[in-house]
Amino acid sequence: MSVASPFGTIGPYFPSEFSNGTNDLTNKGAARGRKITLTGTVVEEGGKPTFNTIIEVWQADSNGIFRHPLDERASEADPNFQGWGRDRTDEHGRYAFHTVVPGALEGRQPHINVMILAIGLTRRLVSTIFFANATDPVLDCVPPESRERLVARQTGDGEYEFNIILRGENETPFFED
Amino acid sequence: MLDYVPYDDKTQMDRQIQRYPKSFTRVPSRPLIKRPLTLSERTGPANLQERFQAQTADLSRTSARAVGQLISVSGRITDEDGRPMSGCVLELWQANSAGKYIHEIDRHKAPLDPNFSGQARLVTNKEGEYLFNTIKPGAYPVLESGWWWRPPHIHFSIFGMSWMDRYITQVFFPGEPLNETDLLLNAIRDPEARDRAIFKYTGAEMGDESLMKYQLDFVLRGKNKTPELP
Repeated sequence: MSVASPFGTIGPYFPSEFSNGTNDLTNKGAARGRKITLTGTVVEEGGKPTFNTIIEVWQADSNGIFRHPLDERASEADPNFQGWGRDRTDEHGRYAFHTVVPGALEGRQPHINVMILAIGLTRRLVSTIFFANATDPVLDCVPPESRERLVARQTGDGEYEFNIILRGENETPFFED
Repeated sequence: MLDYVPYDDKTQMDRQIQRYPKSFTRVPSRPLIKRPLTLSERTGPANLQERFQAQTADLSRTSARAVGQLISVSGRITDEDGRPMSGCVLELWQANSAGKYIHEIDRHKAPLDPNFSGQARLVTNKEGEYLFNTIKPGAYPVLESGWWWRPPHIHFSIFGMSWMDRYITQVFFPGEPLNETDLLLNAIRDPEARDRAIFKYTGAEMGDESLMKYQLDFVLRGKNKTPELP
């Protein structure tokens, strides 16, 4: 058996071409389901915004289907929905995704997988964004007092906010990877 | 079903590195939480070839040949059981031969090369192999550190089969003096593991385009798939 290769930091110079135009998962609104904008800031210790942080998301479409061979319903996946997206934080640490509310899938609450890549991180950080603090096999692993940290806050019609605190008070819970 | 065991820290870079300040203000202070892997984590962006229009790439020329040492880089991507991973999208980025990136925050006073973009997307073939030509990247200073020079390296971002094997790294060149002092390379403590982040030099070719050849195989997470019945 082989050993997994060493992960490395993304560093400061990830080409901007690779993160331009990748934060819309809806094919300019053509995707089925409830369209939302998910925004937030990524901060480090002391609440300091991080600039140039790369965020990637992976989620099911509005019917809870993944366009992936492991999903038995993959052939019914919304052709206009991209399950994957990427954005880069601006100088205020802000990111934004245009997506849909993911459908629930068997045994799971609606959720969005998220990963963070940044200077200073030699490995990616992975977490999960939920829409409600409800029973879920992944959210249940988080200490009860921290679960709200993984719930996106509705800030308007079709607008959700999910702030990420890499380190410090009210730190975002991250999962083993 | 493929099994994804957590990375073994012994084969990876330290998460916090002395004299690398951002690793102390950004790495979470709380322990990472164990969780079960469901369909959501076991699937992932495995079909980005078309969207990215990824293909075999030659970074060494646009309209004219870029300045620097012409090299070829190749290798194979497998999972932990040695199965080749075909159709993986690779994103590559690197400095030019003067150690300069095309990036708004690169303050190093070195020239850009109009014939070198330093970035490409490609896809592994049926055998999980990748191959591209490029210019050997130059070393460059991390200006805010006051001392740290990065040895030549090429960045790789690889999309495997699932969210669990999404992989980012940087790969170094053998025999570079700056390898000895690089904070990141030496944050892999185990020498054997460190070697797996350094290209192998596999010879030089002479011909229409004479070049030096480098090679590195990657192992993405994923093992113990139940054998399929005939």
